[in-house]
Amino acid sequence: MASVTDPDRVHSRKPIISGKLFSRLMIFIVLTIGLSFTLLPFLMMILSSFKTNLENLRVPPTFWPEFFTLENYRAIFNDPKLPLLRFYSNSAFVAIFNMVSTLFTSSLIGYMFAKFEFPGKNLLFGWFLALMMIPTQITMIPSFLILSKLHLINSLWGLIVFSMVDAFGIFMMRQFCETLPNELLDAGRIDGASEWQIYWRIVLPQLGAPLATLGILGFMHSWNAYLWPMIVLQKIEVRTLPIILTWFNSTHTGQGALVMAATVLIIMPILIVFIFFQRWIVQGFTMSGMKG
Amino acid sequence: MNLATSRNRKPKGGLATSKRRFVTGVTLPMLLYESIGLFVLGWAFVLMFFDYSPGRVGGPILGLGGSNPFVGLGHFVEMIKGTSVQANLFRISLRNTLIFAVVILPLNLAITLPLAWLLESIGKRFRALYRTIYFLPVLTSSVGVALIWMSMYNPQSGWINAIIRAFGGTPVAWLSDPRAGFANVSVAMWAVILAYLWQDYGYNMVIFIAALQGIPQELRESALIDGANPWQAFLKISIPLIRPTILFVCVMTMLSSFQVFDIIQVMTNGDPGNQTQVLMLDIYKSAFRYQNMGWAAAESFVLFLIVMSVTVFQMRILRTDWQY
Repeated sequence: MASVTDPDRVHSRKPIISGKLFSRLMIFIVLTIGLSFTLLPFLMMILSSFKTNLENLRVPPTFWPEFFTLENYRAIFNDPKLPLLRFYSNSAFVAIFNMVSTLFTSSLIGYMFAKFEFPGKNLLFGWFLALMMIPTQITMIPSFLILSKLHLINSLWGLIVFSMVDAFGIFMMRQFCETLPNELLDAGRIDGASEWQIYWRIVLPQLGAPLATLGILGFMHSWNAYLWPMIVLQKIEVRTLPIILTWFNSTHTGQGALVMAATVLIIMPILIVFIFFQRWIVQGFTMSGMKG
Repeated sequence: MNLATSRNRKPKGGLATSKRRFVTGVTLPMLLYESIGLFVLGWAFVLMFFDYSPGRVGGPILGLGGSNPFVGLGHFVEMIKGTSVQANLFRISLRNTLIFAVVILPLNLAITLPLAWLLESIGKRFRALYRTIYFLPVLTSSVGVALIWMSMYNPQSGWINAIIRAFGGTPVAWLSDPRAGFANVSVAMWAVILAYLWQDYGYNMVIFIAALQGIPQELRESALIDGANPWQAFLKISIPLIRPTILFVCVMTMLSSFQVFDIIQVMTNGDPGNQTQVLMLDIYKSAFRYQNMGWAAAESFVLFLIVMSVTVFQMRILRTDWQY
């Protein structure tokens, strides 16, 4: 018996192993091609930012900067019309405020929907789900009209007032709060905690992971937002980074290297921060199916 | 007995009150805030039946009426059979938006599904590294993406034309040549599609990887033992099993490409000759450049209907139960 199957086995195993090696090699080659396609544009941006403007206009383009220069960065930092720190703080103010407010409302409302019974609950929740499906473009025009009536055009608050409650966040927090054991909450009640204290001291600390995910997603969304800030912020000094970048590009035509340096300064710092949070971001995207 | 029940009841009543108070305390401000949202929604709905421009004085209620006259379904009639510039532009934008979404979807799937499959099959450490890199463009602001690609598309000094020249081809003015095209889609449209794909594929890949990891290992192993090669196992076992995810990804990709704005606004702003004018861009220009907000509201409603029908279609399909 054994003598019949053994040669067969040896025979079939050999090509599998070499085939495996071959296919592994192929896999790495394909993945690396994809990888270079992903990385090359970034690399090009960084390399261009160290070239002189003259070199950047050369045909055919040089790969490595011939004259490695920091002149573009120096020009940007010394440009009185481009106070980068100010624009960074504008963006950070909006993003942090949006993040904190949506985290607070999402966890509070989500917790309520998960753990409390009251008349009309399902109706209310259905209304939230319906809200989730309405694209912002449809409310964009009246929102703008309201802001101009309230004199909030050119104010960073204009970016904040309409995004303090996030239907998706509520949905996600409800899912998580449903998994919290009721005994935990009841233990708090027996110890005499008020319902607010239970939310603040017991529920919130349990929600660390989803809060982190939701927070990073919200921050990123707000940090990269373009259309709405462009509508609301018309004066230059109040603008956020993405619209400053397009403004800078349109006022420096023909100075490609300089624009690339500005792009590096505006997108890279936050990209590096995002890399550290990458795991939570990926997790969040996978759960939410929300696009940035 | 009596004592026991009364003792039991008292704290319970107190508990119910404090719970009710909590619910009211949360719900009331929330409802107030949401009623603003409802008001905004209602306003958006009413606006599309008026020829409204914020510059005109108009009637007493929200500036509607008076010099901002009621036109009923006039905007929609105009969209369908009007000959005005804006009606033409709307139809062009609608067509371009559909082209954009229809081209993006198969290309995206053709890149992301196989790459996700390959990524899923390699070791853990490499997978994390590759995934991080593939995900970088997703996290980049679309303005940055647009500027990077504009510089690569530069007809003289851009890298893409440099590569074409190196292979002996004729360079192309990617973002501004109105004549060139491929498969009936203008070359500028292809250019923005490529940039959009580059920014977007990491997202779908991550979703596919998560789905593929969710497939029980034994299923694939048993197929391999039965003599299937890995490619067959992928086609016949993995793909059918992650079908709900594929559908979901298709719908999400469709939805976001119907609403594309940032990249196109920065890269071409609809040029050359409106070849990349998409619906969101048209809405934005109508509302905020030409102050024609009634018309823009009607246009957004059309976009809303498209988005809504895709979403409903998705929910219909995803309602089916799936099990391994």
